[in-house]
Amino acid sequence: MCSLRGYLVNIKTRLGTLELANPLVLASGTAGYGREIAPYLDLNRVGAITVKGLSLFPCSGNPPPRIYESASGVLNSIGLENKGVERFIQEDIPFLETLSTRVFVNIWGTDEHSYRDGARTLTAIERIDGIEINVSCPNVEKGGASFACSLDSLASLIGKLRKVVTKTLIVKLGPMKEDIGAVVILLEQLGVDAVSITNTFPALAVNLSNERLFFSRKTAGLSGPAIKPMALRMVYEATQASSIPCIGMGGISSGTDAVEFLLVGACAVGVGTATLKNPAAALEILEGMQSWMEGRGIERIEEIIGKAR
Amino acid sequence: MNEAVITGKQIVGNFIEFTCTCAEVAQHAVPGQFVMVSVSPTLDPFLNRPLGILWAKDDSFALLFEVVGRGTSLLACLEKGDTLPVLGPLGNGYSLDASSALLLAGGRGVVTLHFLARRFKELGIPVSMLCGVRDSSEIMLERYIIECESGLRLFCCEEGVRGLFQGTVVDALEEYAALHPLAPETVIYTCGPEGMLRELAMHPLLEKRRVEVSLEALMGCGFGVCMSCARKSTEGYMHICSEGPVCALSEVTW
Repeated sequence: MCSLRGYLVNIKTRLGTLELANPLVLASGTAGYGREIAPYLDLNRVGAITVKGLSLFPCSGNPPPRIYESASGVLNSIGLENKGVERFIQEDIPFLETLSTRVFVNIWGTDEHSYRDGARTLTAIERIDGIEINVSCPNVEKGGASFACSLDSLASLIGKLRKVVTKTLIVKLGPMKEDIGAVVILLEQLGVDAVSITNTFPALAVNLSNERLFFSRKTAGLSGPAIKPMALRMVYEATQASSIPCIGMGGISSGTDAVEFLLVGACAVGVGTATLKNPAAALEILEGMQSWMEGRGIERIEEIIGKAR
Repeated sequence: MNEAVITGKQIVGNFIEFTCTCAEVAQHAVPGQFVMVSVSPTLDPFLNRPLGILWAKDDSFALLFEVVGRGTSLLACLEKGDTLPVLGPLGNGYSLDASSALLLAGGRGVVTLHFLARRFKELGIPVSMLCGVRDSSEIMLERYIIECESGLRLFCCEEGVRGLFQGTVVDALEEYAALHPLAPETVIYTCGPEGMLRELAMHPLLEKRRVEVSLEALMGCGFGVCMSCARKSTEGYMHICSEGPVCALSEVTW
């Protein structure tokens, strides 16, 4: 229960069997491994932190430039740089153990084995409450196509991961060719506990000074307020098709942005790019959301989840 | 984010200098550090801009920035009395343990070296400062070269300007070293454009010498979470905002 000017708003929410003290989740890739953002916001006040996407082994990421600003948005081409599972456990778990908030770890791989081995190691760590699977990366065994490029490849990967992950299993879905409704129905059947929707949108930037593409990998991922309407559409369609709990994200920068995601069916919200502009953005968004609910006389968050149909 | 209040504004050619009041930034800032500055209260442009700190004293600090794009153009519209949301001070700073120092600044690289020269002067450490600009449009940056009794100050311009040494900072360094051979203990500090830094990294005069450089990069967050500001170093990618912006010149690969 959170009190704002004496009014009580119950903002506890659930992702399957996992309870979050509030619906605010720090999105992967914008909160580091936890320690980096800790000086700027009290991590125990957010519902969950999702640490930067990890692979089984360290990954050095893409060559610079890695970031480009577009109208109300940001393109990034970080290339999933990370320290790898082993170093994360050694260097960051001790800090995360001092927190009371939920801890999710985002993972990715280049083939099913690397996903499975990373997930198996991380699920054994007591402090980790959930494993979030990034399925938007290229599958080297299938010629570099994304794991989410077909229902078959997605089912094959997630089916294997469900067998090894004993914690809350979350699948992070970005824009894809497949119908999002069909994808979430499949994930629900596979026993996935929750989905995070959405990831960045593939985009392009041009360098006018040299008349070439801005990024060495050509395309990059667009995030920020520019993608919010598209993210809302995805969350709406996913939660219409299935009752799987959804963490809605994509350009949330204010309390009312977060409320919009709840209204279209998300039961939690992720804050990502807004954190780059203001490391304490998530708490300001949480306060704005509570304030909005209080102003409407809403007592429990469930009253608004999925109300806009 | 802290709210800094702009207490002074000076237009210096294509540069703007803001004097600001914000104890949280000013009391903790060391030479070489930067702040992330919000350029708009709206969602566009979205990201903050990294700006080097020109000086900090008591509850005040100053920023000097070149107007180069949309973000800095919006910043340039702010006036005395306006508030400026800032995050910082961020990154590491130059080391202050030199017994004598030579500062080599190119263009807007003068910003953080100005702060360093002021600090060395306060500490009584002999400091010389060479600063160069490309053309006459930037000669007003000369005002940021610190006068120091024990050292030399020299301002140069690649374009011929009456009364100024004509050439680059590297040319000036060579002239300087011919007249005043560099003492073995002199530490070199530098900040400037990529071409100048690359030339210094390969220069025989600086071989086997302690040289610290402050680097620029496109940044997303400024505090180490987004990994946008990666740059190749001898140890793989380094992140300028959290592992820099100051590092040994020998660690940078070109």
